[in-house]
Amino acid sequence: MTGSQLSHVAMEMGIILLSNGAETYRVEESMQRICFALGAREAEIFVVPSTIIITITMPNEIPLTLTRRIHSRKTDLHKVADMNHLSRQICYESLSYDELISEIDRINAIPSYSYLLHLLAFAFIAQMFTLFFGGNFLDSCLGFIIGLGIKLQMDVMGRLETNSFFINIVGGIIASTVAVIAAGLGLTANMNTIIIGSIMTLVPGLVITNSIRDIIAGDYLSGLTKGVEALLIGSAIATGVAVPLSLLRPFWGG
Amino acid sequence: MMNYILPCLYAFGASFAFAIVFNIQRNKLLLSALGGMLGQLAFVIFLNVLSNQAASYMLATIAIALYAEVMARLTKSPTTIYLAVALIPLVPGGGIYYTMLYFINGDIELGASTGIETLLISGALAVGIIMVSSTVNLVRKVMLKRKARMGKKYHYGQKN
Repeated sequence: MTGSQLSHVAMEMGIILLSNGAETYRVEESMQRICFALGAREAEIFVVPSTIIITITMPNEIPLTLTRRIHSRKTDLHKVADMNHLSRQICYESLSYDELISEIDRINAIPSYSYLLHLLAFAFIAQMFTLFFGGNFLDSCLGFIIGLGIKLQMDVMGRLETNSFFINIVGGIIASTVAVIAAGLGLTANMNTIIIGSIMTLVPGLVITNSIRDIIAGDYLSGLTKGVEALLIGSAIATGVAVPLSLLRPFWGG
Repeated sequence: MMNYILPCLYAFGASFAFAIVFNIQRNKLLLSALGGMLGQLAFVIFLNVLSNQAASYMLATIAIALYAEVMARLTKSPTTIYLAVALIPLVPGGGIYYTMLYFINGDIELGASTGIETLLISGALAVGIIMVSSTVNLVRKVMLKRKARMGKKYHYGQKN
């Protein structure tokens, strides 16, 4: 395998891992593993949440550097798991360039769950967390509706490429507006519970986990970036929730 | 008794839905959702024994992190799959909300104390994950070294 082929394969692998929610060290390790398994003499890889830089030196060749910037990120842990498996598999059995490319294409084309299922899952999260924090059945149904609304809003705004800070502010606004109005109409006495349950759908669980795990692995740059992202999302949610609570105060009478 | 079991079931349901949102493979959905239930169960038990919130959160996180490491080894998949899903029911969403609510109600003191409590809980979650991951890494390194040394001995033995 030539140096340019190898760097291409490693880069494709890293891009899929990084843009689907893998930790920084996992991306670096996987790319390094495949480079050494396929005959590179040296492989230097630098990964931050938005960029991958890789320099490969094949025996008797000059070093080759490739840089790729990541623009959109989503969460698809199925792809991460399969890609991780592939990178370990390469160490045991040798695959040709074409086989590797077709395997990477297969992983990249793995379908995620259908949109309807995602929508229902979102609403179900809000419903379950409303019950979890002590709401009754009617409260949980309100949570279900808010969950649907938040998911639809996130997708519409995501398609318009709004930043995640603003998306979470609007999510918080939706959650607390519906809850405040329901409380004002006398539908529920547990306004706080509904709001808490619904905003749990916005909690960046994967970002928090990856931030901590990156910091443990010594990737302070990525760890801090993700930590700041989690903090910003948290404060965005609180800001969004605060707006209707303050403006509609006469309505809910707090 | 029902007051303890029902939240665990709700945590299970929420974790299951989060596993779908994260697009986790179909045959691992159930295992990752069980982690969320385990975290809540451990939290409730430790809270009853210790009656200390931050410590209970830390011990519950240690429980789910251990669960995640074991499951990751058994199913040969990344630890994150189990850890991220199981962690979410422990995230102090209520703390964030009440901090904000007290502040906009003008109750600065209560808001500050709730905020610090929330920060403490977040720190407890982080410490729990750090302790387990670091210990597991250490154990793995020691085992790898021992294996390498044994391999060498075996190799020398064959030569002779």
